[in-house]
Amino acid sequence: MSSKNSQPILEDVNVIVAGQGGDGSLTVITMLADLFRNAGLNVYTERDVLSRIRGGHAAATMRAFTGQRFCVGSHIDLLVALDEEAVEKNAHQINPDSIVVFDDSSGPLRDGLLPEGTKLYAAPFNRIAMRTMRRELYKNSIAFGIVGRLLGLEDDAMRHTFTKRFERRGQIILDYNLEALGLGLHLADEMGIKHGEGIYRIEHTEPEEHLLLMGNESVAFGFMAAGGRFFTGYPITPSSEVLETLQKWLPRCGGVARQTEDELAGINMAIGAALTGVRTMTATSGPGFSLMQEGIGHSGSGEVPMVLVDCQRSGPSTGMPTKPEQSDINIMVFGGHGDFPRIVLAPGHPEDCFYLSFDATNLADKYQCPVVIAMDQALSQNIASVKPFNLDDIEVEPGKRLTPEEVANLETYKRYGFSEDGVSAFAAPGTPGGMSLVTGNEHDEFGLVSTDPKNRVKMMDKRFHKIEVAKKELPKGREYGDPKAPIGFIGIGMMYGVILEAVEMLESQGIKTRYHQPRTIWPVLDDTFDFINSCERVYVIDLNAQAQLARLFMHQGADSSKIISICRYDGLPYRPGYLVNQILEQEDKQEAKAQ
Amino acid sequence: MTTTPSTKTFTPARPIWCAGCGDFAVQGVLEKSLQKMGIPPHKLMLLAGIGCSGTIQNNLKCYGYHALHGRVLPATIGAKLANPDLTVIAAGGDGDGFAIGAGHLVHTFKSNPSIMYVVMNNSNYGLTKGQASPTSPTGYRDNAEAGMDSMLLGLSFLSSTFLARGFSGNPEQLGELMEAAIEHTESGKGFAFLEVLSPCVTYYDTHREWRARVVNVDEDENYDPTNRTECFQKLLEFKEEGHIPIGRIFKAQHPSLESLIVNKEETYPAQQEIGHDDHRKHYDAFMKAHLG
Ligand code: SF4
Repeated sequence: MSSKNSQPILEDVNVIVAGQGGDGSLTVITMLADLFRNAGLNVYTERDVLSRIRGGHAAATMRAFTGQRFCVGSHIDLLVALDEEAVEKNAHQINPDSIVVFDDSSGPLRDGLLPEGTKLYAAPFNRIAMRTMRRELYKNSIAFGIVGRLLGLEDDAMRHTFTKRFERRGQIILDYNLEALGLGLHLADEMGIKHGEGIYRIEHTEPEEHLLLMGNESVAFGFMAAGGRFFTGYPITPSSEVLETLQKWLPRCGGVARQTEDELAGINMAIGAALTGVRTMTATSGPGFSLMQEGIGHSGSGEVPMVLVDCQRSGPSTGMPTKPEQSDINIMVFGGHGDFPRIVLAPGHPEDCFYLSFDATNLADKYQCPVVIAMDQALSQNIASVKPFNLDDIEVEPGKRLTPEEVANLETYKRYGFSEDGVSAFAAPGTPGGMSLVTGNEHDEFGLVSTDPKNRVKMMDKRFHKIEVAKKELPKGREYGDPKAPIGFIGIGMMYGVILEAVEMLESQGIKTRYHQPRTIWPVLDDTFDFINSCERVYVIDLNAQAQLARLFMHQGADSSKIISICRYDGLPYRPGYLVNQILEQEDKQEAKAQ
Repeated sequence: MTTTPSTKTFTPARPIWCAGCGDFAVQGVLEKSLQKMGIPPHKLMLLAGIGCSGTIQNNLKCYGYHALHGRVLPATIGAKLANPDLTVIAAGGDGDGFAIGAGHLVHTFKSNPSIMYVVMNNSNYGLTKGQASPTSPTGYRDNAEAGMDSMLLGLSFLSSTFLARGFSGNPEQLGELMEAAIEHTESGKGFAFLEVLSPCVTYYDTHREWRARVVNVDEDENYDPTNRTECFQKLLEFKEEGHIPIGRIFKAQHPSLESLIVNKEETYPAQQEIGHDDHRKHYDAFMKAHLG
């Protein structure tokens, strides 16, 4: 082991814990994240599981760093492999100077699986757990001792985190886990990884206040902060945490969050609630979003405010439920039958999720139309440290809602009355004099069914006009990198963190680039066109096979000669290094073309 | 609000049903019951499904909503949970409620929200020109399936609290059943399910046949609508005899959905003032929970 002085300060480290589903990889990673956060670092965690209850390869990754990152780094520095398959599956991600901690209970690691130069620490965690504690379950906690020591964590800090995590589950479980950790620390001593002599030194800073949140939790809370008080949904990976979070929090403030029998009930119950004037949301993933299309169109035609969260996963059909993809862009923007107005917002990281969910809730109420929040599995479920939300800069904006007094003073009340901005004032049921009809059928200003051609055109125009008006206040994109760079990037959702880092990596290689993160993808806003126009070429990064995002921009009039599509659809998340390699390859092609 | 505003709002449409359609009786009885019970139009939400019956909300002065096909129940439950102060009534036909909407009906029995649901059963799809519906008997227009019985379905749920069947040809009794159903939901006792035999004179005129087959359990001293097992047995017996029981089929007690999930210490979701600062208090708790 290196002496204390030569230990590098931990600035950016990626740790992956892998084994079989149910092995508890995620528990280890979550506790590591907690420890690093307490030491003042930022963290980001990612999970990679199979869609099955137990078993199958499962891995969880944590990145701890100073500064801001919203993705896993390009290489793994420490691999904790609870079986051989874990090494096989993850060896390609590790550097020659990486560390591997391996559970050799079933025998030594096969030769040739690891790159030359990797440092291997092997111990039979499973066997020790079985021998000493009679339960395989505790192998994690034993391994944790070794991992913590290697990473330079304090023994006491580890014990503290264990206590915090397990005391909820009762004294006995806590005691067993602490005992297992003790065994792990003892084992570390035997292996020569002494306290304070790990690979890294952690520069403890006063931790800034920040939350550890996944995008789904942020979305849920943004909705609640914006006055959202009604949620219905049907559990589907990877959106279920929106439901779970709101089931926990909404009742406290008098809201209702309800699990329905299916997605059809989910959206229609939300519509029924929205009719009474409450701010309403539903969340789902691709297959459920498909089922909801009829309801979404109805919300558009009947002008019922609605926030829909689509946590995209690999499709088509039931696809790969636990793998990230962004392949519902087409149905978010064009899904449903007939023509109706809608807004689609696209947050890029958990903090953004809070603010855009807040905006979505305001916008739905103000413009009385469906507002979709485009998420993806990684954005939904990966956990990041997030600055506390600033509630001073956000404001709940009421829609055009009439008070009983205002209604009483009206000569005529028309639910679908024509107005300058296309938005009609709304009287909530219970208001005397505000009786009206809400229907998806074409209707007149009172809501009575009408097929009169003149009325039809006026009503269609009224509904679409709302979106033109809304455009002025829809969330604008954000730009990063060198504003003069000729090469641009566009990407949404989980690509935010990856592209930002790729921009940095390219810069360090002397290639200047810039990144435009559109936060509204429907309607496509002018700032996105302006960005494309001002670049020589723009890489649009799509997590789908058919370049849905790139095609959306081109369909809306972006200069297609400037757009180069990069598509990935193998179910794996992008890593910054992988993206950089792809860009360099493309750039070489460009150069060859130019010569 | 005690003052009656002079605001002019929409004028109820005239029904578009064929002359002689059973749905007229349902509407008439519904209007009378609401009036008799003193439910003001602004407190009433009438949600209807798709089909001939699904136009009823156009004909009444109240807050009306035309739901998607088969989806009237979830929409109605949503409205009730968001604002339990409202009288919320769902209406529809047997196709809407028992075919495309059957799943929701099952779950409404299961969850027992305080809403009233009136199903106008004409045993065919009138609006699309008479195809077989879930309650059409075997043999109707080549229908190979057996017709379903919604009362037996309702009885199979231990959480069902009110089941009744009326006949448009017997408007007096229908009125009593309608009032009882509205009373059941108004007092927060849960789901009031009222099926009305409502013949379609245009595509499947069952008026005479049904008149001959109905038996009124309200007049049967031996019928105890609170004994589930007995009800089930008697209903089966009637069926075997070719009779259709009408009247108060079943009554029981079970907590209503909104009494279980709406936080009574707070203002109802739809009545909360939007824009208040209340979320800050919860935000602090949320922060604490995620600060670790
Ligand atoms: S078609 Fe039948 S159910 Fe429809 S309105 Fe006419 S009579 Fe009534």
